[in-house]
This record gives sequence, C-alpha cells and structure tokens, in this order.
Amino acid sequence: MKHEMSAPDQWLQLHGDILYRYGVTRVRDSEVAEDLVQETLLAALKAKKSYAGQSSEQTWLIGILKHKIIDYFRKTSRDKTQEYDEGFTGGEVDYFDQQGNWKIDFSPWSKPDKTMEQEQFMMTLQDCISRLPPKMAQLFVLREIDGMNTEEICELMSISTLNNFWVMLSRVRVKLRHCLDINWINQ
Amino acid sequence: MITCKEASYLASKKLDKKLTWRENLNFKLHIMICRICRRYAMELKKFHHTMQKAGESSLSLLPESVKLSRQSRERIKQTIDKVLHQTE
Repeated sequence: MKHEMSAPDQWLQLHGDILYRYGVTRVRDSEVAEDLVQETLLAALKAKKSYAGQSSEQTWLIGILKHKIIDYFRKTSRDKTQEYDEGFTGGEVDYFDQQGNWKIDFSPWSKPDKTMEQEQFMMTLQDCISRLPPKMAQLFVLREIDGMNTEEICELMSISTLNNFWVMLSRVRVKLRHCLDINWINQ
Repeated sequence: MITCKEASYLASKKLDKKLTWRENLNFKLHIMICRICRRYAMELKKFHHTMQKAGESSLSLLPESVKLSRQSRERIKQTIDKVLHQTE
C-alpha cells in the first residue's frame, strides 16, 4: 500500500503530540522533547522528497525522531559520564543484606487488562521511571521498551563492558519492579 | 550455592541472553529452594513481556492527555512556517 503525504504545514497539528509523547518517554525532559519535535519536523521538511510512501507518514516521522533521540543521547553521554557512574553505584544496597539475601519481598502481580488499568499502570510506570537516575532510566527504556540491542546501547551510553551492562540492567529492573510493587500492584 | 543477589542478576540476564550451563544450573538450584527468588524471576518475566508489548505499540506509553504545551506548539509552528515561507 502506498501512503499519501499530507501538507507539511499540517504535520504539527496531526502528529505533534504523538511525536512529543514518544520523545518525552525516552528523553524524560519536556523541553528537550519539544525541541526534538521541532528538529524532527524541520528535518522532515528537508527530506520530504525522499518519502516514498512505504510507511505511514507518522511512522516515517517517528523514524526521524528516533535518530534525533539517539543523537541527543550520544551527546549527553559524552557530557555526563560522571553523573552516570554516580547513578549506578550502590543503587541496590537497599534491596539486599550483606550476605546477599533479599531485604524485600514481591507480591504476585496480575497484568493490567482493562484499558483504564493499563493507562493507570503506564502512569505509575512513568512515575517510577522518572524517579530513577537519568542514565538508568535511559538504559531501561532503550533496552526494555525499544528493544535496542546490547552492543548498540553500550556504544551509545559509553558502557565499557557487557558485564557492566547486565549488572546495570538487573539493578534497574529490581528497582522498577519494587517501585511498581509499592505504587501500583498493591493498590 | 549462589546468593539471592546473584540469582536476581541471573533472572534478569536470562531474559536477554541464554545463560551458560553453569549459570543455568546455579540459578535452577537456587530457585528450587528460594521462594522469593522464584517469585522474583516469575514477576520479572511478566514485567518484561508487558514492557515489550508496550514498546511494540509505541504510542500508548503515555495517555493522550499528555500534549505539547500551547507555547511550544506556537513556537514550533512559527519556526516551521518561516522555513516553509523561505522555500516557497
């Protein structure tokens, strides 16, 4: 199926909010996300001749936004390697005692089924993610939600070894699962 | 016997990568006797699948009430109109 392109001056109206939501979930900063929407639309204007109509206009725009997000991550990981180390050291201390036993328990969890439940779940999840150190949040979203591959993430976030990557991912999962346990599941 | 901390690490890694036979054995032995880790591993798996599904429908991560602010929308609109004007 071939998709038609709408007039460029309609893009903001048609796709602006969707691009914004996509961006803000990933960069976790509303101002940055707004800028990325603008950059995406400007890049799309330049590239509009290359749009072949193979994917929908929205998919095409999100594709451009993804590149912008990756550029942004690349830039910030160069600037802030330090913050990221801080964010990851000692983060799991609260969850295990010195012998490495759990200090917390997890309640069993039923998946959010109804639309309203899902919406609430996503809000709680966003809230939990935003309490994480920024780099930890970034790692989680790239891997768990966007399914980006391990090597790419390590390169993008300047993570030196795969082993570090697995350790970080494990920590962020414990943290989030625990946060959800407290804030959503037991409601 | 590995600790819960190590088991939690393996439960996580297992979702993304095939464990070595030794890792797998250690993990299996541990969760046989540890209720919390058994539950944690199960819960983590559910969580992982929920996240993957959310990612596939990449638009539903935030409710539709989350929108560009009026000011930023206006600012973006002006920038775009300017560029469109130049190219005409």
